[in-house]
Amino acid sequence: MATTDAPITNGINYPDWEDRYYHVDQVLDNPGPRTDPDSFMAGDGVKNFLRNQCKILVIGAGGLGCEILANLALSGFKDIHVIDMDTIDISNLNRQFLFRSKDVGQPKATVAAEYIMKRVPGVKVTPYYGKIQDKDDDYYMQFNLVICGLDSVEARRWINATLVNLVDPENPESLKPLIDGGTEGFKGQARVILPTITSCYECSLDMLNKPTTFPICTIANTPRLPEHCIEWASVLEWPKVKGDMKLDTDDPEHIQWLYSVALERAQEFKIEGVTWSLTQGVVKNIIPAIASTNAIIAASCCNEAFKIATSSAAYLNNYFMLIGTESVYSHTFEHEKRNDCPVCGGESLEVSISESWTVERLIEMLVEKQDIQIKKPSLSTPTKQIYFQAPPQLEVATRPNLEKKVSELVPDGGDVTVTATTLPFSLSLRITYT
Amino acid sequence: MVSNGSQDIKAEMATSEVQPDNKTRRYDRQLRLWAATGQSALESARVLVIGASATATSILKNLVLPGIGHITLLDHCVVSPADAGNNFFFEGSSIGRNRAEEAVYRLAELNDSVQARADTRDVADVLASDQSYFFGFSLIITHNIAPVLLKRLADLLWSNPSSPPLIPVRSAGFLAEFFVQFHTHEIIESHTEDSTSLRIDKPFPALLQAARELKFDAMDTTDHGHIPYVYILVRALDDWKTAHDGLPPQTYAEKQEFKSLLNAQKRTLDEENFDEAVAQSYRAWTPTITPPHLVELFADTTIPSTPFGHLLAALQSFSRRPPHVLPLSVTLPDMKSDTESYVRLQNLYRTQAAEEREQFRALLRVPVQNELVDLFVKNAHGVQLLKGACYGALDATPEKLTAHLGSLTRETATHLAFFALDAWRSSPPRQSGGPTDSELREHIVSLVPSVELDEKEISDAVGEIIRAPTADLPNVAAFLGGIVAQEAIKMITRQYIPVNGYCVIDLVDTWTGVLPS
Repeated sequence: MATTDAPITNGINYPDWEDRYYHVDQVLDNPGPRTDPDSFMAGDGVKNFLRNQCKILVIGAGGLGCEILANLALSGFKDIHVIDMDTIDISNLNRQFLFRSKDVGQPKATVAAEYIMKRVPGVKVTPYYGKIQDKDDDYYMQFNLVICGLDSVEARRWINATLVNLVDPENPESLKPLIDGGTEGFKGQARVILPTITSCYECSLDMLNKPTTFPICTIANTPRLPEHCIEWASVLEWPKVKGDMKLDTDDPEHIQWLYSVALERAQEFKIEGVTWSLTQGVVKNIIPAIASTNAIIAASCCNEAFKIATSSAAYLNNYFMLIGTESVYSHTFEHEKRNDCPVCGGESLEVSISESWTVERLIEMLVEKQDIQIKKPSLSTPTKQIYFQAPPQLEVATRPNLEKKVSELVPDGGDVTVTATTLPFSLSLRITYT
Repeated sequence: MVSNGSQDIKAEMATSEVQPDNKTRRYDRQLRLWAATGQSALESARVLVIGASATATSILKNLVLPGIGHITLLDHCVVSPADAGNNFFFEGSSIGRNRAEEAVYRLAELNDSVQARADTRDVADVLASDQSYFFGFSLIITHNIAPVLLKRLADLLWSNPSSPPLIPVRSAGFLAEFFVQFHTHEIIESHTEDSTSLRIDKPFPALLQAARELKFDAMDTTDHGHIPYVYILVRALDDWKTAHDGLPPQTYAEKQEFKSLLNAQKRTLDEENFDEAVAQSYRAWTPTITPPHLVELFADTTIPSTPFGHLLAALQSFSRRPPHVLPLSVTLPDMKSDTESYVRLQNLYRTQAAEEREQFRALLRVPVQNELVDLFVKNAHGVQLLKGACYGALDATPEKLTAHLGSLTRETATHLAFFALDAWRSSPPRQSGGPTDSELREHIVSLVPSVELDEKEISDAVGEIIRAPTADLPNVAAFLGGIVAQEAIKMITRQYIPVNGYCVIDLVDTWTGVLPS
């Protein structure tokens, strides 16, 4: 499958037919009561910027991404780029409306881009089938705006930190507004992040739901729920029986195996409720997703992008959350910037621990702490290495420190720098002892 | 059913070894929300949408994708160049062709299993000559149709309590509102997040007995650390009541004392099951009662004579008998325990729940299908019977509007601006152009003459409407497409709780609100 950018099939100078933008032009020709008259260039000025100059990046061509691309194209954005590393699965078709059964297995970014260009002539959509981490600062610098429709916390943290790091106070162009959307079932949120100015994604990490985890001893010794039996099959039995073979949760054969093993264990313990669907849900950590919620959240994101690009109305400050399970409940509020945010805050995070804690215990705490959530952290002080996860030689060299007390290595009030390969930033901790 | 023998296991394996079929795989992410029952309700629904605007086709898209049974799109107009510019379901070649046919053709591509039909008649003609047409659908949605036609349709549907629900959608520029019109709406699966009672305060005999029989002192350290907190609490409360004239802990001091008694039972500091008991101790003094919304429902004399109504009547009889609770629901949360104790406790609850379900069934005065009884009993604490209102009823009761202006100011101001736009559209034609600020304000003042209006909220709403009175913005259309489809799905599946009244939307400041009717 081709992974390079698609050829330009539609030029930016495609002639618009008369009245094409009859609807959108009503809000671009006239200000409203809540439009800032100093920044809104009503008429040709704003239309020219939106349709001929503005370059926007969409990250994710899935549930939110498909909607986002269509909305942007219809709103008059004509130079759109899209990144997605996934291929199309049959379970996408209940909401990702740019894809058909015949497209299953094809890259999402490419198929979505072609569909938009076919349906909305004159719009150029440039797909990239790959990871956001493949691209460098220069790449991100070319855009005016970035919209994210991602299902991964890690990818969001990466792009957020990348865009915060991109900000050069001397160059206003380096500040790229980031609009982020997310959904789960009937619930969702959209937010506007102005890197370094407003609260960033990292500032709000503690708002995420804690992922469900089951203690290993429960899974191994005292299973009670069908989920415990499924975890037993995937976490303990798979490596034991299959050796080095990697578990592929997209492979139906693998799910089938886990299901049979989990079911057998459940029967043994008289636990009910292990099904194929639950097995798949637990091992893939499936989050329910429907077209309607995605449409609401994607529309909110694009509406903010449109308002920011055109200044036709005030934009969201800065968080919109919606819950559709019981009537329609929504809450719009300003999420506060955190001064000790490792990405945009500048201050060290105060961590108070017992003098008896080992380095290993501290690492466990960092992995679990809701506002940090760093997988595989490496630790150092300004003068020495405490523990490094990689490269292997360094890991071996620093491993003995795991059993040492932190207080032997770091003075009271001392700084510890935490890094992880998955995150493009480091975290400063100030350690105090109780 | 618990299956024990290896034969049973093999039988179960044989029947369930088949991987999900393509349809289940396609709908997997939504089946996890509304299950097969919701899906089958969707698949038997017939939805009529009037007006092939960008908003209307967005709504339809979000119904076609999850697999609605049938859609009809009714529109007699032809696609204009403006339509081709803001609607994803038209192309340049659509210009000049019928709007319904062009949109249905492209909507149908989204899902082969949906029956999609275009009706090219004028809704005015259908209303005049073919009123029974509307009763052939399970839900009707309109977008920005002429106020006089909408009124006629709403009144027609309201005149017959068994007619389909109606969702009229209005939008102009960045503002929108929609209403859900229905007489009554029965919900069994409300998916409420309120947790069900474990009856710690009113333990059924088998539970109380099991808790009393446990010999905490004789247990070894491992067993003691694995007693499910339910037993710990039931026993502690039983002891407490014996010492306190049969009363649970009531004052703050008593509750603290109760918690410290629980803590005192710990053998080691890290016994998580006792920590759980302390954390869950509110269950000991929170009385298991009939939820207030059900008490209110029971007091209502007009419970319908539908299966749901019969079930509701039986629920009322059930809750009137001691111990004045709803039938037991069986979901036992996970807790620190060994497998055997947990499974045994779960079976105690299951047995009791099955008994209470039979008692409930005996209280039914009219027989109801077994599956429905089971579903109802399982969800009893969350069942709802909503009473709706007729579209426009709120505008006919200025005192309600006045009250709303005090508490839901921006929602009411936005609603009044839409009311004024409709009134302006229905009044004799002006020279040219759209409505003016003063024209819309006149209509608002004539509706609520004696009220002092919030100037900022009124001018914010009116100003946005006169800025773009006919604009169906792509993003607003997409937002409405999602939110209206969501309400349609809730109405059709009778799961989750729909909006009762107007949902008002402002996408300048990005908020939504609900105005009860």
